[in-house]
Amino acid sequence: MENILEVKHLKKYFPIKGGFFGGVTGSVKAVDDVSFTIKKGTTMGLVGESGCGKSTTGRTILRLIEKTEGDIIFNGQDISKLDKKQLRELRTKMQIIFQDPYSSLSPRLPIGEIIGEAVKEHGLVPASEYDQYISNIMKECGLQEYHKDRYPHEFSGGQRQRICIARALALKPEFVVCDEPVSALDVSIQAQIINLLKQLQEDRGLTYLFISHDLSVVEHISDTIGVMYLGNLVETGNTEDIFANPLHPYTKALFSAIPMPDPEIKKDRILLQGDIPSPANPPKGCKFHTRCSQCMAKCKEVAPVPKDMGNGHVVCCHLYDEN
Amino acid sequence: MAKENIEKKDMSLDDANRVRVLSPGMMVFKRFIRNKLAIVGIVIIVFMFLFSFVGGLLNPYSQSQVFYTTEQILKDYAGATAIDQYQIYQADGTKLPSDIYSKTLIAASTGKYVFETRDGSLLGLGNVGEGVYRIFSLEEVNMLLKKNAAYDEAVAAGENFFTDKDGKTYIFQDNGDPFPAVYEATEMGVAAMKSFTPYAKDAKFSYDFYCGALSAIADGEKSFDADGKTYSVDGDVIMDGASEVALVSDVNFNAANAGVFISPAYKEAAMNAIEAGQSSFTFADDDGTEIEYRIENKNGQYTFRRFQETRVIDTYARPSAKHWVGTDANGMDLLARLMYGGRISLLIGFVVIFIEVFIGMIIGGIAGFFGGWVDNLLMRIVDVVYCIPTMPLYLILGSIMDYYQASATTRIYMLCVIMAVIGWVGIARIVRGQILSLREQEFMVAAEATGISTYRRIFKHLIPNVVPQLIVFASMGLGDVILAEATLSFLGLGIKYPAASWGSIINAVNDSYVMSNYVFVWLPAGVFILLTVLAFNFIGDGLRDAFDPKMKR
Repeated sequence: MENILEVKHLKKYFPIKGGFFGGVTGSVKAVDDVSFTIKKGTTMGLVGESGCGKSTTGRTILRLIEKTEGDIIFNGQDISKLDKKQLRELRTKMQIIFQDPYSSLSPRLPIGEIIGEAVKEHGLVPASEYDQYISNIMKECGLQEYHKDRYPHEFSGGQRQRICIARALALKPEFVVCDEPVSALDVSIQAQIINLLKQLQEDRGLTYLFISHDLSVVEHISDTIGVMYLGNLVETGNTEDIFANPLHPYTKALFSAIPMPDPEIKKDRILLQGDIPSPANPPKGCKFHTRCSQCMAKCKEVAPVPKDMGNGHVVCCHLYDEN
Repeated sequence: MAKENIEKKDMSLDDANRVRVLSPGMMVFKRFIRNKLAIVGIVIIVFMFLFSFVGGLLNPYSQSQVFYTTEQILKDYAGATAIDQYQIYQADGTKLPSDIYSKTLIAASTGKYVFETRDGSLLGLGNVGEGVYRIFSLEEVNMLLKKNAAYDEAVAAGENFFTDKDGKTYIFQDNGDPFPAVYEATEMGVAAMKSFTPYAKDAKFSYDFYCGALSAIADGEKSFDADGKTYSVDGDVIMDGASEVALVSDVNFNAANAGVFISPAYKEAAMNAIEAGQSSFTFADDDGTEIEYRIENKNGQYTFRRFQETRVIDTYARPSAKHWVGTDANGMDLLARLMYGGRISLLIGFVVIFIEVFIGMIIGGIAGFFGGWVDNLLMRIVDVVYCIPTMPLYLILGSIMDYYQASATTRIYMLCVIMAVIGWVGIARIVRGQILSLREQEFMVAAEATGISTYRRIFKHLIPNVVPQLIVFASMGLGDVILAEATLSFLGLGIKYPAASWGSIINAVNDSYVMSNYVFVWLPAGVFILLTVLAFNFIGDGLRDAFDPKMKR
């Protein structure tokens, strides 16, 4: 399978403005040298704690936020070099589903228009088929045809998320960034939405970048997983590999926090000490060394480089250095 | 639509079609009409609009129509003065010195009939008798008066002049000498304390006539010749045959108004009344209607006054069937002025708010949407406009318009523009703040992610979400604008006479007499302003509550 998306050394620094004249006094390194690839038709899960740069990565890929450095190659095309017109065309290829279904729908537009607005804008379907097209999309996403004339305030969270999905899919995208699409929903609705997303992926051959902090959801939906910590991708690999054999101390700690449905199983939780450091002033060397239980002298000085541990399982840790 | 065709009973209980679909606008409307105060406000505003715009059409009067009324006013008709100075009738082609009046008076009272005037000419009076004197210019001559029949005749008649055989007139003055001094006299005029009133309106009399008439009266003769005619004297009246020519009296009459002819008959009636000591008398005018004249005496000067129908401006008329609210200080119908003033006040309110919203939305929208230095620059401009002290500015602009004598309509336009130019900043700030917060909402990011154009994002996504706040602010602001306009008009800076606005109507209360005595002038306009501002505030409050998404239906 070919790679639909390649992200190489992506960096996004937000400047910190301060001082009397508003000069740049520093930068928040939200995404600091992240590289990964996604194969067509698969789902990559991006996990990590709040503020580690997952959402920024997703939005930078869509060019909703301009990157600081690095390459984003989508279908063999570096999208950071696109001009406005080309970018507009790209919008139909790449879509995003947001976390909060309440604020992501304009309260003054009826659902039909919210979903169909961009379809009209891009002229994806002829005017004669437009109504039918929107109805089909809505049905596909589990909405009724008569919902078209209703307004967002009349829908529940789950339905709203379906509307968001319909809006994204109406543009016939190849690649969808799901930015924590279920974290605002309760568990039963989460399952519906996840299943809907999976169903749509099967029907349309979609590729997802699924951003979440909920590991069980990610495990359920993802083919590959990337674990982020403080702007770095510390471990990537197939879902099975990572869940069976987490290598990075952070991944281990993260996975040990997954609740088990069986109270008999004795859990061996790894508790991380301290808080996540500020991304404006990250620690030297391995960014995780301040909280790592297996920290070595080397970790404090030298930043680790990614190492392939076989079967595409890449980890970024000095523990696995050859010598 | 298909769903309307489905009968309710055919639906299952959980069919979503059972729920009526309400757009956000409909929900706002529903919430709004449940607010009683807001409905009161709407009713008031609708009334004000009907009153001003429809009422102005129905009212038969215009705003600047001045009403008149007739009143009986005691007015001067004529004045009469007893003549206490010699009236001098000059002969044709002669010129008498200016001090002739006083010299005549002195000469007549002392009996020294020969005198020298200030300019050195020698003049003399010929005593005709009965206070009638002929004025001569004199030249001293040596003449023997003995055995002069004309002289003897004059002395016998008690006169001091005679006409000699040679046809010349001589005047003599007894100054204690055995022989009186004799002067050759040339006739200059005639003096008497009498006035002539012609019976015909524009009649003029010649010197010959005056001289003959006065001599005849003095000598008690019944007729005299003048200008080749023979006139007869009947008491005070001089007749030409059977027709009356002039009335001779020792009272001078003057009409109070130029062009009014005081007839001898009137004169006679007035004189009789004065002599009888009456305080009033009646006299029939040309039409035969009897008019009562009142006599007023001031140090021997009599004034005759009568009641006259006079057209006066109907100022401060109390409310009546003709003027439902009365009239103002200029005699204009207050109801009409309230209606037309309401048009101006409401119109200014809406026009100003419209311009304010237009400018404020564009500036605030640009600042909010683009942010960065654009936002910074525009907001600093807003700060500067905020800092302009409005009242002094209005005062200056009002006086500028006074200086250029701007017309009423120009003033209205200028007032609108100025108030809007000052007032848009509040709206700009609100719009900017709203857009700044909306811009960060995820639906705006979603719109960007779906590749929707900037134009559509602004006008389809941002503006509709700003509109509620805008409507609330505008409806509240309307009251403020109307108040500001009223204040300015009250101070005389806004709408000026003859155009009306509610504020300028209240302007009448700048004196305490009007305030306490003519309540009907200012109270309605005041109440209208109060009600309108209150109503706009009620509506604004109602709209704010209705737009508030936290308020459930």
